Amino acid sequence: MSVRHRKTATIMLVAILLLSVILGCAKQENTPASTSTDGAANEKSITLSWPRDIGTMNPHVYNPSQLFAQSMIYEPLVSYKQGGKLEPALAEAWTISKDGKTYTFKLRKGVKFSDGTLFNAAIVKKNFDAIMKNEKTHSWLGIVSVLDKTEAVDDSTFRMTLKEPYYPVLQDLSVVRPFRFLGEAGFPDDGDTSKGIKKPVGTGPWMLDEYKQDEYATFKRNPNYWGTAPKVDKIIVKIIPDGETRVMAFEKGDLDLIYGEGVISLDAFKQLRDTNNYVTKLSEPVGTRSLLLNSSNPKLADLRVRLALQHGFNKQAMVEGVTSGLEEKADTVLSKNYPYTNVDLQPVDYDVEKSKALLDEAGWKLPAGGTVREKDGQQLDFELIFDKTDPIQKAMAETIQAEWGELGVKVNLTGLELTVQIKRLRSNQFDLYFWYNYGAPYDPHSFINVIAKKSFGISEVLSALPMKKDLDQQVHEALSSTDETKRQELYASILKTLQEQSAIVPISYIKKTAVYQKKITNFVFPANRDENPFEGIEIGK
Amino acid sequence: MISYIGKRMVAVIPIVLFATLVTFALIHISPVDPAEAYLTAAHIYPTPEILEQKRHEFGLDQPLLTQYIQTLQRISRLDFGTSYLTNKPVWDEVKVRLPATVELALSSMVLSIVVSIPLGVLAAMRKNGWIDMLSRGISYFGASIPQFWLGYLLIFFFSVRLDWLPVEGRGTWQHLVLPTLTLSLVLIALYTRLLRSSVLEQLQETYVQYARTRGIRERVIMLKHVLKIAIAPLITGMGMNLGKLLTGTIIVEQVFSWPGFGRYFVEAIFNRDIPVIQCYVFLAACLFIVCNLLVDLVHLYMDPRISSKGRTEQ
Repeated sequence: MSVRHRKTATIMLVAILLLSVILGCAKQENTPASTSTDGAANEKSITLSWPRDIGTMNPHVYNPSQLFAQSMIYEPLVSYKQGGKLEPALAEAWTISKDGKTYTFKLRKGVKFSDGTLFNAAIVKKNFDAIMKNEKTHSWLGIVSVLDKTEAVDDSTFRMTLKEPYYPVLQDLSVVRPFRFLGEAGFPDDGDTSKGIKKPVGTGPWMLDEYKQDEYATFKRNPNYWGTAPKVDKIIVKIIPDGETRVMAFEKGDLDLIYGEGVISLDAFKQLRDTNNYVTKLSEPVGTRSLLLNSSNPKLADLRVRLALQHGFNKQAMVEGVTSGLEEKADTVLSKNYPYTNVDLQPVDYDVEKSKALLDEAGWKLPAGGTVREKDGQQLDFELIFDKTDPIQKAMAETIQAEWGELGVKVNLTGLELTVQIKRLRSNQFDLYFWYNYGAPYDPHSFINVIAKKSFGISEVLSALPMKKDLDQQVHEALSSTDETKRQELYASILKTLQEQSAIVPISYIKKTAVYQKKITNFVFPANRDENPFEGIEIGK
Repeated sequence: MISYIGKRMVAVIPIVLFATLVTFALIHISPVDPAEAYLTAAHIYPTPEILEQKRHEFGLDQPLLTQYIQTLQRISRLDFGTSYLTNKPVWDEVKVRLPATVELALSSMVLSIVVSIPLGVLAAMRKNGWIDMLSRGISYFGASIPQFWLGYLLIFFFSVRLDWLPVEGRGTWQHLVLPTLTLSLVLIALYTRLLRSSVLEQLQETYVQYARTRGIRERVIMLKHVLKIAIAPLITGMGMNLGKLLTGTIIVEQVFSWPGFGRYFVEAIFNRDIPVIQCYVFLAACLFIVCNLLVDLVHLYMDPRISSKGRTEQ
């Protein structure tokens, strides 16, 4: 071997050695400790990803704190369960006065915060006071505008008085924020939690352990938890903003669970499901994708036109085609898994002939040789606005455009940024709009509330309905009624009217998706749309 | 020299002013009300009362001119205000994230220099040889592939399939490998071609012929004479790209979950977090200006024919 060749060979050897050292080291990651389930201390942990940082974990403020994480640390007085059942949480029992204005809660005894301090009526009152100090921020939640006063009657009795009866008080108390409880040690000196908290101290099953902003957060079991202790020791949340990266991290085995709404694309979900290497699950409907037909537009003020449009597209085929069956065709605006919504309603079926007949009857005729129906020199055309970043909305909008085009209805599509889209809804500047209800525990009461209350955009959509005033009255009565039977009747009547009027056209029921490694068992979707699914989750072998 | 730098620094002021004005105008032309965007992002229904309160809190109920002047006053004190979203001082948030972005940008810059200089020179020396073909291939690939796609490909092969490197996150140098590769490939593509053509051009010069006739070894000609001149366009390119790199890590940070400034900025845009957007634009403008100045200074140092007054003296 010549000197030159020897030199080359040495360089090559060193390079190979270096490369193997690099690759050898590469296998040891140093992000959150013990990501594996067979770690040194035999610790059982679950690693999942979330698109955004978990936030400040302040129970009384909103963005950027993430709801699922807040619900791990903080608990409500009343908990929302499947089918809208309200179960005791931090309140063991409650009584409601006959006039529906006074709520007295018996607090669960022996509950401690994660720092060992006692949970009692005084701390409940302190939390309520801190929340109500920023009343305007929380004014979107019905209870806030009717709450008159709160008192700590004794150590384990908390009472609140309302200005007027409002039946969904308990539902509002079960939402993740703001009515959950921070321990004394978390309060800032001036008691104003809206500006920040000292540390996240709650009564929930989990407590924040390690946290690195934008990178990860780990939660460990709260040793003082009053309920059944979680089966796993640790929940590790890795912050991965990109959906595709999330899927690859899962395939590599870095993640045990991908959970949420729209956290991965439908294609990725299908692909993971089809490998049969993982468990995939779809939740019950968590909300409805609907199309608003704005009745304040004179063309859409005619019931025959609205009905014709609903009859005029194949909902089943569209939902299956666009979402590959991951969403379910919706016949009613609210799915039947909420309280008061299990009402018999007549679906508006796909029927092109009926649709054409209705449009003819309404005076919108196809001119000879024309493709767009006309009446009094006006064309039957509408603008459908959609969120341009949402591939499902876009595909659905295009399908609807094509199908209605066949009927002689011209649809112009406008893709907008979500915030602009919402602005257009609120200012009533649209003909057709994709809209979603809020889900549990907000519905059905939030849904009927926006039907009657102005400024949300929905009341305006319904403004030209002949029975609008009556509808508003029914909503008001339903929200303040203390009579369960009467409330059910009112809900049935409201839902029936909406179904017949076809101004809110149900398209599909949205579901949460979960994909997890086979070692995970007992995974159940939470009944509350915003809560975490870690209760009862186990790790097998 | 010092007065030259001084003059250039003074020129920074109108440029930064212009950048802040354009940003301010763009934000206010946008049909989205930042208060509304904040509430939407927070899943709070924007009732009129709370909208009004938030607008007041953010100072958006003030006349536009007052808002702009206040912004300028704050920026001149290097106070970037409080993030609408997190309620924390913007500068504190930026300080935490900036090192990650700088780390990524510098490592990409270093890798691209280390690879492209030898590759470019060899490609020129062995024109139409296999190494030239290779460099052409890399350049073609690097210039045409979208960065996010390259990122996915790298993750798929090196992390998922081969299990050599982590998929995402930051912490060890292994985490740095794939994002650095992703970011630097396009630079390698650019620099290699730039250097190749510039070396080829120099090789035609008479001083090279003269050196050859004097019997100086090819390697010495290349390293001591040609490279020194041929590298000038590369330095310009690098200076321009350093700014671009720091501001251009956004996509790569998103794909690799890199906890940097770029990701923070993207979120700020979606949430119309104006103080953050303004801070970002301000820093980016300063960075581009400083990089340009650095390039000019390096040129000045390397080529004495260029005077600090900016004209070429014979």
